[in-house]
Amino acid sequence: MLHRKWKTSTRPMNLLMGVAAVALSLAMAQPARAEIKIGFQAPLTGFAATDGKSAEIAAEMAIENINNAGGVIGEKLRLIAYDDQAKSDQAIFTANKLIGEDGVKLVVNGSYSASGRAAAPIFQNAGVTTIVAYGVHPDITLAGDHIFRLVHLGPPQGRATALFVAKDLKLKNVSTITMDNDYGQATMDGFLEASPKYGIKVINKYSYSLKDRQFGSIVASVKRDNPDGIYATGYFFTAGPLVAQLRAAGIKAPIIGSQAFDSQKFIEIAGPAAEGTYIVDSLDRDRNDAALQKFFAEFTKRAGYPPESVASVVYSAVKLMADGIKRAGSADPTKVKDALAETKNFPMLEGTLIGFNSLHEIIMPISVNVIEDGKFKFFAKLGDLDAFAPPEK
Amino acid sequence: MSAYEISVISVIGINVILAVSLNMISGFCGQISLGHGAFYGAGAYAAALAMIGAGSVPLALLAAAIVGSVLGIVVGFTSLRVRSDFLAVTTIGVNFLFTGFVRKQHWLGGEMGISGIPGSGLGANGNMLMILLFAAVTVALSLYVNHSWMGFAFRAVGEDEDAAATLGINSAAYKLAAFAIGTALAGLAGGLYAFFTQFITPDAFDFILSVMLMAMVVIGGIGSTWGVVTAAIGVTLLPEAIRFVSNYRLLVFGGLLLLVIRLAPGGIAALIRSVAGSAREP
Amino acid sequence: MSSAQLLRSEAVYYVDLAVTGITFGCMYAMMAVGLALVYGLLRILHIAHAAVFALGAYVTVLVANATGSVALGFVAAILVTPLFGMTIYRLLYEPLLKYRPDVPMIASVGLLVLMQDAFRIGFGEQGVTFHRDVYDLMTVDLLGVTVNAVQIAIVIAAAVIFLGLHLFTTRTRIGVAWRATVSRPKIAASFGVDPIQVRYLNFALGSALAAIAGGLVALLNNLVDPSIGYVVSYKALAIIVLGGLGSVRGTLIASLVLGLVEAYGTIFIGQWLDRDAIAFLALIALLMVRPQGFTGVRTA
Repeated sequence: MLHRKWKTSTRPMNLLMGVAAVALSLAMAQPARAEIKIGFQAPLTGFAATDGKSAEIAAEMAIENINNAGGVIGEKLRLIAYDDQAKSDQAIFTANKLIGEDGVKLVVNGSYSASGRAAAPIFQNAGVTTIVAYGVHPDITLAGDHIFRLVHLGPPQGRATALFVAKDLKLKNVSTITMDNDYGQATMDGFLEASPKYGIKVINKYSYSLKDRQFGSIVASVKRDNPDGIYATGYFFTAGPLVAQLRAAGIKAPIIGSQAFDSQKFIEIAGPAAEGTYIVDSLDRDRNDAALQKFFAEFTKRAGYPPESVASVVYSAVKLMADGIKRAGSADPTKVKDALAETKNFPMLEGTLIGFNSLHEIIMPISVNVIEDGKFKFFAKLGDLDAFAPPEK
Repeated sequence: MSAYEISVISVIGINVILAVSLNMISGFCGQISLGHGAFYGAGAYAAALAMIGAGSVPLALLAAAIVGSVLGIVVGFTSLRVRSDFLAVTTIGVNFLFTGFVRKQHWLGGEMGISGIPGSGLGANGNMLMILLFAAVTVALSLYVNHSWMGFAFRAVGEDEDAAATLGINSAAYKLAAFAIGTALAGLAGGLYAFFTQFITPDAFDFILSVMLMAMVVIGGIGSTWGVVTAAIGVTLLPEAIRFVSNYRLLVFGGLLLLVIRLAPGGIAALIRSVAGSAREP
Repeated sequence: MSSAQLLRSEAVYYVDLAVTGITFGCMYAMMAVGLALVYGLLRILHIAHAAVFALGAYVTVLVANATGSVALGFVAAILVTPLFGMTIYRLLYEPLLKYRPDVPMIASVGLLVLMQDAFRIGFGEQGVTFHRDVYDLMTVDLLGVTVNAVQIAIVIAAAVIFLGLHLFTTRTRIGVAWRATVSRPKIAASFGVDPIQVRYLNFALGSALAAIAGGLVALLNNLVDPSIGYVVSYKALAIIVLGGLGSVRGTLIASLVLGLVEAYGTIFIGQWLDRDAIAFLALIALLMVRPQGFTGVRTA
């Protein structure tokens, strides 16, 4: 019955099917014009959501800016972003998802060290070229040559700080306050290791947990130490209260903070107490650089708050990846890896990236900011690259 | 099977072992334990050190189970001193003591944890199968205990200690046994986890994890092995399943947890029982 | 420095630590008393109390910023949180009372996870701070020990609250009826006390106190972020257990003890254990010696 109906209308039916087939293949041909997928991991939820949000917005901005300028090697970029909550197991899931389900070959990791450490070996084994934007743990680049890191490692940051404290601030007796997590400890380790070399005496070492906002015991102890200077590692949400409480206790010694102090929120929380705080490896906002100023304005408009180191380095990471693709002339991860390894004097928002060393760590000077009149002001540029050179292979 | 699926299934397997072992302590024997992460973590660290030191997979897993169990027995002794609600907080304390101690010890890697743990040599696929094997063993053990005299004694102790005493049940001995077995399995799970990630940090074994494990037990239906297995699978898969909601994952997760408990307070097991019961009605 | 100066500086140091400890203690006491009230009445570990505390902190800052007055911020918080607390009781706990206490506790956990993310989505990942012109830190110098005004406010607030609670439960009719319901529910009911009203009062009171604690912590830190409640969720539990069976007086004692232990402990054994571990070590040690808590009655 059905059969007969079909047979009687064969001719028009065939024609229709033929047209449909052509139309379908034309339609299918469209997406076959490839985009280059860039995988992206960031802590969008969970305790690190503050940095995750900055990272996400920065990455999206970078992709849009690149695509609006015509894309890379004639193709547009597409960001495939996953939330890893800055946790190792989530980083493993999302890394596998990017490689397997999404077929990604190039990744930017915009998350914390716990994520970078877990994901890096997976990306390396799959031959996926990865730029880790701000995870500072030494193990990350040890995973292999497909992994690049765009921020100074913890220990070199600490060593640079020791150099700065001794040579620029000329302080001798210092009390140290470490935030107890891999970032805080790694950075402080560098400082403690380099201190004796520059004649800095560490009077006492204190530490606190990520969750702490009340530092009464540490403040009392530092007051008793009466140091020439205080060096503390931490994120803005611990740094703000810490600095406020130190000053409220009448401690006048200069405070030197680590990279993650760098956030407008730090100034908001600590208020007048933030004046005079030095931040090492901070984003130099005073640079007369059109790209930086444009980024600043656009990010502030999108996010509702001004960008900090995290946003800047993630933006630069995506830009660098695009640049690597351009120089390689292809999106093949091995070719991109080789192009990235040869990077010379690449303009990042933070300044000029001189290049990568054999372990694919950055060679770049470190900027120091000071808080003046409630704003970040450039204070010094540490150019003694050997003093804080990252490890080689 | 993709690498993603393998990794998710591996974690599901580990969570099943953890939840079912917790169920033995808190479900069967009624000893509320909100610090299960500590035994899991102790096992993971023991396995990591054993593997780095001796390089033997069976030794590492055995060490993991033993260390977990020893810690568990010590905690079990404290359970004899304090009444049940206090036990909940004591176990929270054990969890924080574990993480708070480990993150300060350089020989345990401190905050950085231990990385570069030698692999088991089985590959990701092999690891997953090993995990699933142990998960199956755990479930079988749990079912067996439940139907045995030990299970009966556990439940008696859990529900009414005084009545249990009249039956000649030495509640202290059974509480310790529940802790010993449950924490040995948790320690074993820790060893399996160490091989899965090949890098461990104190944060992976924190209070939040312990609460999630207890949530699996409650959602599954306290005391029901299969209910808890289902809940473990469900709770582990949920964050992956709602990845499309990306920015609102925790919101949705919390909300679902809330709703499930509110609508099915007896857990999945009770839900199934009531459905099965009403199905029998004509 | 001369030896007299050295001695003085050491003395100041130990007093400094004591002040820190007492301030922590008073803060913890106000955070935990709401939990003690709920536990005393219903035997539920009301983990979501941390969300009530956080809500109080957020409301204080946001209303203070909007109106320019910190006092108004507090008033708003004290009005909002009891509604939230009573809603939690009505929608979450009341239907689950007949189950094992783990069940409402896990529901409570679900609510806390939901609320923390809601705070993140609603008020931002970075959290909220007081505007400069609304609030500025003031310090007072007492014989070389610098105390900030908020610390003094915390101690005074705690003293007022606990004294107030004591008078309330011993001198007023409602208070006595409440106390009776907690310890002898059936007898109280037979005297005509409505247990449901007592429950609502319980949650309202505990939540309002959490709001005050939240507002004060907001002033102290000048930062309210989504994680602000996290520490409350487990520390407050430890405190009420150490205090003994939801006793208000026990909560105060336990809080002060824990505050001092943390203040001194983090300096002296901070190399081996972190702050929470020290607190819990003290808790476990004290519980082993006195399993019923400070003011509890031995049942076994």
